Amino acid sequence: MSKRNRRSLFLKIGVLAVGLLAMIVVSFLGSEVGSGIFGLKPASFLKVEAPQYHPAPERPFPSLPITNTLITAWISMAVLFLLFFIGTRNMKLVPNGLQNFLELIVEAAANFIEDPAGEKHGRWFFPVCTTIFLFVVANAWLSLIPGFETVHVNGEPLLRSANTDLNIPAALAVVSFIFVEYWGFKARGVSYLKTFFQVGPLWSALKLISAGNIKAGAGGLLNGFVSLFAGLLEILSHLIRMVSFTFRLFGNMTAGMILVMIMIFLVPWVLPSLFYGMEAFFGFIQAMIFAGLTLGFACAAVMEEE
Amino acid sequence: MEVWTVVAKLIGAGLAIGLGAIGPGVGIGILGMGAMNALGRNPEARGPIMTNMILGIAFAEAVAIYALVIAILLIFVA
Repeated sequence: MSKRNRRSLFLKIGVLAVGLLAMIVVSFLGSEVGSGIFGLKPASFLKVEAPQYHPAPERPFPSLPITNTLITAWISMAVLFLLFFIGTRNMKLVPNGLQNFLELIVEAAANFIEDPAGEKHGRWFFPVCTTIFLFVVANAWLSLIPGFETVHVNGEPLLRSANTDLNIPAALAVVSFIFVEYWGFKARGVSYLKTFFQVGPLWSALKLISAGNIKAGAGGLLNGFVSLFAGLLEILSHLIRMVSFTFRLFGNMTAGMILVMIMIFLVPWVLPSLFYGMEAFFGFIQAMIFAGLTLGFACAAVMEEE
Repeated sequence: MEVWTVVAKLIGAGLAIGLGAIGPGVGIGILGMGAMNALGRNPEARGPIMTNMILGIAFAEAVAIYALVIAILLIFVA
């Protein structure tokens, strides 16, 4: 690149940066909060409604028991279904276009799962973990489409990010919990219950005592009670996982939604797009964590403890 | 609603997220320090270090998110 060309490129970038910065400053000064700080009059073309957050999902059709988050969940299911249906309709041995992209996703997921779980168990975990990942990421990314929450029916928004309804993360958490327990029983049979009811050490201590060996038995008795208690704690931790799954996803997505709303209120131009990018990243990360934690717990459940 | 109830709610929400952000902040700092140390020792392992650091940060951040959920519940629901 010649010196002249490089100079003109720098000039273009500089003009762009100055323009964007000016837009940020102007929109901050014109917005309600900024103009209040500097004692100016808020500009009418920058008027943004104050952010309002309703924890419960709205019901756009009062006569139907359908919330707007449910509609969004259906839409993201439909999008995923259509994407994979169209992509795999006439498959070729050498993929191109959409099929290539879908194979990339599936292959990455398969590698991600088979790496810790191994070939046999990876095949069990793959459908559930990948579905959770795709569903969560579709919910998160669909809600970032501009104009998503502005469509109103009967005074309520028709669409709202499905992850910001507590019920959908909770449902996913219950599914993940049930599958983890199912895989545990499938891999280890009834002996999976030994994880929760560790009566083995207590039983052997009692046997020692009944055989007359009081001194060795008393030491083992304490050990037995401790492992019994540890097993009960294990039950508790399996149940608490569901709560933690739920609130991790719900909280992250809700916080993102509120953050974007507040940024749009404070600085209506340019700056919110940065937060949109951040939200896209966090949606991906949270989906990966939800699927990855399910995978991790499933691996722990099927592993023999010897 | 009585004014003191509102005051208590707002103070409680502020305390919840303010105190709840301390731990995750420290945790993310330690994670970043560990990642930088690892990167300094072994610059070729940039990819895996980055991925694991982001995963760890997401876990630490989840604790702050719980506090945020409590704050949101206090303000909007309770």
